[in-house]
Amino acid sequence: MATVFMKWLETQPEKYDRGIQLLTLGKLHKLQDRLVGLLVRPGMRVLEIGCGTGALTVAIAAKGAEVVGIDLDSGMLAQAENRLAASGLYKNVVLEHVDAALIAERFKPNSFDLIVSSLAFSEMSRDTQAYVLSACHSLLAPGGRLAILDEMSPHGWTARFAVAMVHIPLRFITWMLTRTTTNPLRDFQGTLERAGFRADVIERTLLGSLCLFLAEPKLDDGSQPLPVSFKGRLRYRMSLRTLLVDLWAVFFRIIPPYPKMQPGLYSIGQPTPDSPVLVTGNFELTVRRLVKAIDHHLHVWLLVVDSSGINVWCAAGGGFLTAERIIGALSTSRLDEVVNHRALILPQLCANGVDGWLIRKQTKWGVHWGPVRAADLPAYIQAGRKKTEDMRQVRFPLRDRLEMLAATMGFYAMLILIPVALLWPSSFWPLLAAMLGLSLFYAITLPWLPGIDGLAKSLPLGLIALAGMLLYSWFVHSTALADIFNRVVGLTGLSVFVGAELQGMSPRMRGEQANWGWEAIIAVLLGLAYWLIPRLMGWR
Amino acid sequence: MAESPSMLEMLTEHIDLARRLRVLQIHFYPERCKGVWQCYEVCPVGCWRPDYEKRVVAFEHGERCIACGACVLQCPEGAIELKVADD
Repeated sequence: MATVFMKWLETQPEKYDRGIQLLTLGKLHKLQDRLVGLLVRPGMRVLEIGCGTGALTVAIAAKGAEVVGIDLDSGMLAQAENRLAASGLYKNVVLEHVDAALIAERFKPNSFDLIVSSLAFSEMSRDTQAYVLSACHSLLAPGGRLAILDEMSPHGWTARFAVAMVHIPLRFITWMLTRTTTNPLRDFQGTLERAGFRADVIERTLLGSLCLFLAEPKLDDGSQPLPVSFKGRLRYRMSLRTLLVDLWAVFFRIIPPYPKMQPGLYSIGQPTPDSPVLVTGNFELTVRRLVKAIDHHLHVWLLVVDSSGINVWCAAGGGFLTAERIIGALSTSRLDEVVNHRALILPQLCANGVDGWLIRKQTKWGVHWGPVRAADLPAYIQAGRKKTEDMRQVRFPLRDRLEMLAATMGFYAMLILIPVALLWPSSFWPLLAAMLGLSLFYAITLPWLPGIDGLAKSLPLGLIALAGMLLYSWFVHSTALADIFNRVVGLTGLSVFVGAELQGMSPRMRGEQANWGWEAIIAVLLGLAYWLIPRLMGWR
Repeated sequence: MAESPSMLEMLTEHIDLARRLRVLQIHFYPERCKGVWQCYEVCPVGCWRPDYEKRVVAFEHGERCIACGACVLQCPEGAIELKVADD
């Protein structure tokens, strides 16, 4: 259910505009208008990096310039298409689904008179910022300029506090809608200078938290190579923070925001230019488990790719970890300058969404599908990148089943147990015990319960639970028939719910949502029985 | 401008999608297979068996398939499709 709600929010990009306008108190549009009025002239060739829903794109085209708008979010681009169609300016505008990190490959040098960007740089990692800026340097025609409108981290304690009041809700909304978080830019003028631009802030508003930068390439520059962006060595360490994150992840890992790492190039151990390169997503738990599994066994380079903080399998399936993201990360990390081979080892489980051939064709890097589990990496690499049958297959052992049980129960505890504790405190402990008992029993016996899906498996689960309860009620602690009836209804409902919901946590079943219709029907029938039968029998 | 879906529409769409997901089946066209074995490399449930002599793969254990689509995406010859049986 929760996932559907999140998905639904994601399909509402037009709300993004309203949200952003509200949270920047309308100042964003004022600054965008100012940018267009000051810098855009008819006939100019303009590139907009991160065009989003196309508000600025259309405003630039309306002044008679030719605009290419690029964005990585296809939902946003679709919204921009709609806006464009409504404005009738589509002759002047081309919208493209391109990662900002790949503009140097996509466009020819000297092809733009103006490059603009609004709230896009704050969504990039620092590596990507530097890389995109150096690409802008070559894409600008002589006399061309770069205008960047973005969120800044202001100077001073009071200003920072005041801005935080605006920024925290802004972060939340942006995350809900686009699954991206913004990191207000720090010392962006310095970043621009280092990328070979002479830059000035020409407008600032909201206590300096929203700034418009205007930059032009320094003449004597342009050939200065970027330093290789190495993020550092990863070691497996426990700290109070990792303990808290782990504790959170045990119960609430399906609730965003997910703990994530800064994407970029890292090392595990002390790799040389000949050492293997591993690729993974930026869910912090994934990276930490990977480091734990292979530190002291291997010396490798680790390319952490932005997967929106989601584990590789889900991120690849949901379109958050893609070949484009990996190609972008290869460019921005300048990995080809670090190692002297061209072999990437990708997690096997991202193959459902990462097009290996696209990476091979566009980058000349070789793609090798590593093992499913990080623990198998040392053996896989020592065998010369050969997998055994066991390394290829997803398993769902008891340990994983218990882990998934905790994560599911954590979520439903919030949804069900908290209201019950508040409204019917007397039912709290019996309900908690029944939920825990049933799901624990289910998690342990899952492989042996008959049936291939959760709903079918909930039938034997329910029968066993009912038999246990009846035996207990008759022989150990005799109870009135009316109470036994209530327990029968409650246990049946819980069994169906536990069986069907925990199915979503298993990697080896599919389409659990198809059962929601049946779950609803069973719930209504049970409710009806609960209401009707005691009245017919004269218990109530 | 396109109407955005309501929560209820999303729910029904999700259920429909899940129902479809349950009946999706692998359709393998062995005559297109050139023995690249990417399907074998990426399948997480062991549905593909490489035949090293004939340089092709065989599709086995269809009942294990979880319709993740990895083999479809990685096959350079378009020899694998994932579709509903009577489509």
